[in-house]
Amino acid sequence: MKKALCLILALVFVCSFAACGAESGKSVPVIGISQYGEHASLDNCREGFLAGLAEAGLVEGTDYTYDYQNAGFDDNIATQIAQNFSSKNVALMCAIATPAATACYAAAEDKDIPVVFTAITDPVQAHLDSGNITGTSDKLPVDAQLELIRALQPDAKTIGILYTTSEPNSVSAIAEYEEKAPAYGFTVEALGVTAQSEVTQGADTLIRKGVDCFSNLTDNNVVGVLPSILEKTNEAGIPVYGSEVEQVKLGCVACAGIDYFLLGKDTGAMAAKILRGEAKASEMEYKTISEYAYYTNSAALAQMQITVPDSIASTMQDAAA
Amino acid sequence: MTDLIISTLTQGFIYALLSYGVFITYKILDFPDLTVDGSFPLGAAVTAVLLTRGVHPYLTLPIALAVGALAGLVTGLIHVRGHVRDLLAGIITMTALFSVNLQIAGSNLTVERKVDTIFNLPFLSGISLLYRKLIVSFVLALLCKLILDAYFRTKNGLLLRAVGDNSTLVTSLAKDMGSVKILGLVLSNALVALAGCVVCHEQRSFSATMGTGQVVFGLATVIIGSTLFKKLGFVKGTTAAAVGSILYKICIQCAISLGLPANFLKLITAVLFLLILLAGNLRKGEKSRA
Repeated sequence: MKKALCLILALVFVCSFAACGAESGKSVPVIGISQYGEHASLDNCREGFLAGLAEAGLVEGTDYTYDYQNAGFDDNIATQIAQNFSSKNVALMCAIATPAATACYAAAEDKDIPVVFTAITDPVQAHLDSGNITGTSDKLPVDAQLELIRALQPDAKTIGILYTTSEPNSVSAIAEYEEKAPAYGFTVEALGVTAQSEVTQGADTLIRKGVDCFSNLTDNNVVGVLPSILEKTNEAGIPVYGSEVEQVKLGCVACAGIDYFLLGKDTGAMAAKILRGEAKASEMEYKTISEYAYYTNSAALAQMQITVPDSIASTMQDAAA
Repeated sequence: MTDLIISTLTQGFIYALLSYGVFITYKILDFPDLTVDGSFPLGAAVTAVLLTRGVHPYLTLPIALAVGALAGLVTGLIHVRGHVRDLLAGIITMTALFSVNLQIAGSNLTVERKVDTIFNLPFLSGISLLYRKLIVSFVLALLCKLILDAYFRTKNGLLLRAVGDNSTLVTSLAKDMGSVKILGLVLSNALVALAGCVVCHEQRSFSATMGTGQVVFGLATVIIGSTLFKKLGFVKGTTAAAVGSILYKICIQCAISLGLPANFLKLITAVLFLLILLAGNLRKGEKSRA
């Protein structure tokens, strides 16, 4: 029994490591996709990325194969995934979200494997803007969101925002909100939390402070418990604005947000150019997506008794389930 | 394939430093110390800031040791002088350190590629980065192990071991058990912060959330190591911890390499751990029957 167990273990170790050695011999280029965690927006990025490759005319199986790995929001596993890709000599790494990108970039240093990232808010701050790396940024359209809130709630004064103090994307977005809100006649009531378990308490605090609405960032912790936030805000009659379409589907009243599928698609198009040798990641500037779409949830709007002004109604897409 | 083995071993050696730390508190002092989740990123935060400010890479190592020691001291004082339960004392320091780390380095801080780290200093040029990382991390892990082993043989070191095994003896020797515990915590968290420091050099980044789960990792490696070498008395605890760390990293790499759907990663890792532990325990059972 003991010998059998040891044998199984040894076999598993050897086989799995040997599998990596074998794959590098194939002639079809491999794309390593490292996604930081399971999350609707990040999943959309990945699907968009593959769609972008297909749209550029690359066929899976003949032009490329891909190895998709998910780190489950664990930085250490993201590191090992990136090292796995590097040792397989993948043709290109696609990194979804900042921690995955820093890990891929570090693992690619020795071999200079190109890295294409997506869903990073501030590539400059993360020092991912120079070197053999490029990609797309998911910076929030803050101006458009503020304009939207002003149009739907002409009398609103304060916007409550929940964010996680350890999420770099959120910290930079809060700074932008605070800078731009006065121009639209708003004050921002930002409340930082450190863990997901504190988010609903944070929502209670903001409701007690009497904010006129909530506006979400792309904060993983906060968005992860959005349904329980909505439960509280619906009871208090406070509308919540999302930051992308998935949140509006869940019950936010509206959003001016980027479409992560389209973001991924743009990323895929960039990767296709690199794979074909038409461009080098080191020479491509990262892209900030300037197009965004307005989504509303008619059911949620009706519940909050908000009517969409006719002037902007035509630009809205209803995302109610 | 060689590359993969090298980078996995490198990870194992780097995290062995953390395992030594957990070995001291958990195995020797019998103190479940949760400070680790805070002192690990603390070492990385300080390192990231120092590197971006142009401090010499080698200088970050003793500084990380010092700040880690300070974190351990806080937990020790809370527990011993404040009479707070061991788990809670660790939780308090860990929670406080989260804010401290944010204050030091923000939510994340990346070190640019042009900045030198301990892995690319002149005398190692000529060797590829992959091997340089392996050599440096191996030397660090070995050095710390040898120093620790030597320390455990000193009078002071023996006293530390006695606190966990036989606290009555320590008291009967008219020694203050509290200060020995504090010393152990200081030593442990210094090593943990050093691990954070080396990870920061290797990844060129700090993130506030990088400490999450490090206690669990440390405990798992120490237990895997000690289970495997239970019957081999001549194997030192530090060696067992280092082997545990390497095996842990191998398990994760296997789970990644097996090519199963990404969502199965943690399940595969768990099954591999279980197999290792079973293999260790069965060996023990068969021997005792014979």
